[in-house]
Amino acid sequence: MIDVILQAFASIVLDPVTLGLMLVGTLAGILAGAIPGFTIAMGVILTLPFTFGMTAIQGLATMLGVFVGGFSGGLMSCMLTGIPGTPSSVATTFDGFPLVRSGRPGLALGLGLWSSFFGGMISAVILVALAPQLAFLGLEFGPWDYFSLIIFALTITVSLSGGNITKGLIAGLLGLFAATVGEDEINGVARFTFGFDEFKQGFAFLPVLIGLFAFSQLLTDVEDDKRAKSPLMSQSGSVVKVEHRQAILIILKRWVNLFRSSFIGIFTGILPAAGGSISNILAYDQAKKASPNRSNFGKGEYDGVIAPEAANNATAGGALIMMMALGIPGDIVTAVMLGALMIHNIIPGPTFIQDEPLLAYGVFIAFFVAHFFMVGLQAFSLRIFLLVTKIPMYVLASVILAYCAIGVFALHNVVFDIWVMFFFGVIGYFMKKLGFPLAPMILGVVLGKLAELNLARASGISDDLLLFISRPWSLFFLLMAVISVIFPFYQEARKDSLFSKFYVPMSMIVLSLPLFLMGSPVRMIVATILVLTGVYFLYKRTSSLKTT
Amino acid sequence: MSINKDTIVAIFLLLFCGIMINSSFDIEDPGYQGMKASFWPTIVLCLLSIMSLVMLVKSMIASTDINLNSENTNSQNVFLKFKNASICFLMFIIFLGFLDYLGMLIGGVLFVFGLLTLLGGFEIKKIINHLIISIITIGIMWSIFTFGLKVILPEGEILRIW
Repeated sequence: MIDVILQAFASIVLDPVTLGLMLVGTLAGILAGAIPGFTIAMGVILTLPFTFGMTAIQGLATMLGVFVGGFSGGLMSCMLTGIPGTPSSVATTFDGFPLVRSGRPGLALGLGLWSSFFGGMISAVILVALAPQLAFLGLEFGPWDYFSLIIFALTITVSLSGGNITKGLIAGLLGLFAATVGEDEINGVARFTFGFDEFKQGFAFLPVLIGLFAFSQLLTDVEDDKRAKSPLMSQSGSVVKVEHRQAILIILKRWVNLFRSSFIGIFTGILPAAGGSISNILAYDQAKKASPNRSNFGKGEYDGVIAPEAANNATAGGALIMMMALGIPGDIVTAVMLGALMIHNIIPGPTFIQDEPLLAYGVFIAFFVAHFFMVGLQAFSLRIFLLVTKIPMYVLASVILAYCAIGVFALHNVVFDIWVMFFFGVIGYFMKKLGFPLAPMILGVVLGKLAELNLARASGISDDLLLFISRPWSLFFLLMAVISVIFPFYQEARKDSLFSKFYVPMSMIVLSLPLFLMGSPVRMIVATILVLTGVYFLYKRTSSLKTT
Repeated sequence: MSINKDTIVAIFLLLFCGIMINSSFDIEDPGYQGMKASFWPTIVLCLLSIMSLVMLVKSMIASTDINLNSENTNSQNVFLKFKNASICFLMFIIFLGFLDYLGMLIGGVLFVFGLLTLLGGFEIKKIINHLIISIITIGIMWSIFTFGLKVILPEGEILRIW
């Protein structure tokens, strides 16, 4: 084990090429995160074509640099201009910007920067500790369980991606359908090719992803003629000296907030589809509720900067846990990383850490190292950021559209892939206009083949469909899927409604059933805790109903 | 009952499902044991049809009627709203259509230059800037992929003859 870790360490830290790539990746991530209209996912997607020529570890390390850099990049724009660079830094604006306006820009940036660093470090430790354990758990999964896990991943993506649940489900199903085009992997039979030879290979996942996400986003960015022609930011910040020492001391004094926010970030990251955009708001909200200086929030409170920044960087580690342990991408970024691994013929799954220990530990180490780069590059990237903000969006969009075409072509050296990207770009653009969330469709495309393969394996082993509900893990994920589908209705329900009062306790009690069925002592204890907590909540809420 | 954008989308989706379900009957059955190749797509399409039907019903009973003839959707506004996106679509189709002749280098430069000019404006100063930007950016990208990543990008008939 130690020699594998040392080898992985050497492949990252002692390889100047990998370090250089990570450095460039982190810088690109910071800039992508800082520019409004760009997202971290877009930064990672656009990095992908460059990784085709790299080794798997170099490619992943570069993308991790972009991923980590992107989370902290958002804080520059939101603090200096009041405009969040990414949805992950929305809550940072609430107190970061007032702190800058009150004459402490150096401290504000320092707090954001070091909170991101510490949050990332905490999640990196959890990633290293938890991913192998979760992978061991994954070894218990049969095809029934995997299929149900995929169904859960899709339904929770639908329920958390916001908006209309029907449209979300339709988007997910369209993604699943897109993955069926071409020769099926089980029988090698052509499906929905309509006589075109090009369709036989199916739609490659990356052109679909770049089209749906990057291409459609660029079209949206240039939609407004006036906005497209004006510089990226009308307000521009100025270079400031970051107050590192003072910021670190303040954060360490508020360690409870730091740890709480980091754990919120990690947990949100583990949940499929719930990324930094949710965790930063959740952490801010919890920090506000727990703070004795609640009235200072929104006026430049330190805790209001620490919480969202620690949470959003910690989300990255959480998302990686699911991808590394189970091969299920938690969000678009990890879906792209999964795609990058597949290009190198590596299929992540429960055996990934055992089969590819060098790569797996390389990812852990790269995740650590990227955080040091992120801190080191902040001052330099601030200067570049101020230059980039002067460029109008139409210039960036035009150049990136061409770059997308070149990058997609590089995947298989076929022009058909560029057509696929264009086709899905147009679909993605109109879906967004019509209020369909894109995340479920992307996850549908990524997970479609895996779902079908596991369903085929399950039906090949046994015709008994009841296995989907009689196997504890499968039942657990199916129940989670049902709970996640109902979740948006819970969010919309009035606080005093019966449904709203009983949703959480009933979900806890229901979820304890498969845990009891699993039989192991630890899971029985967890199930008992779930039941007892559920019953307690039920009792409390029922008695509150009686009194009213 | 009202007809809005969602109604039209739902009808379109139902039509799409109909065509695809019909096409799924053509999927060959090699007679192997286990799950048939048409099984999974059929399940997905059936679920998609059900959800589209739900969307259709929901859109028809929705209280907020988005009038198709309202100011927001009149042809002039629609044109203005989608003008830049349409330019991008059109330019991209032209770029792809001529890729075999122009190649990635010339085609890419012309695509970026054309798009920049159509989106940014036709003033002389801007045109010169656009030309410089398109040559430099595509030149750099082409060089990185061709020499750095060893990707053989489409050369195009013009460069091949030349």
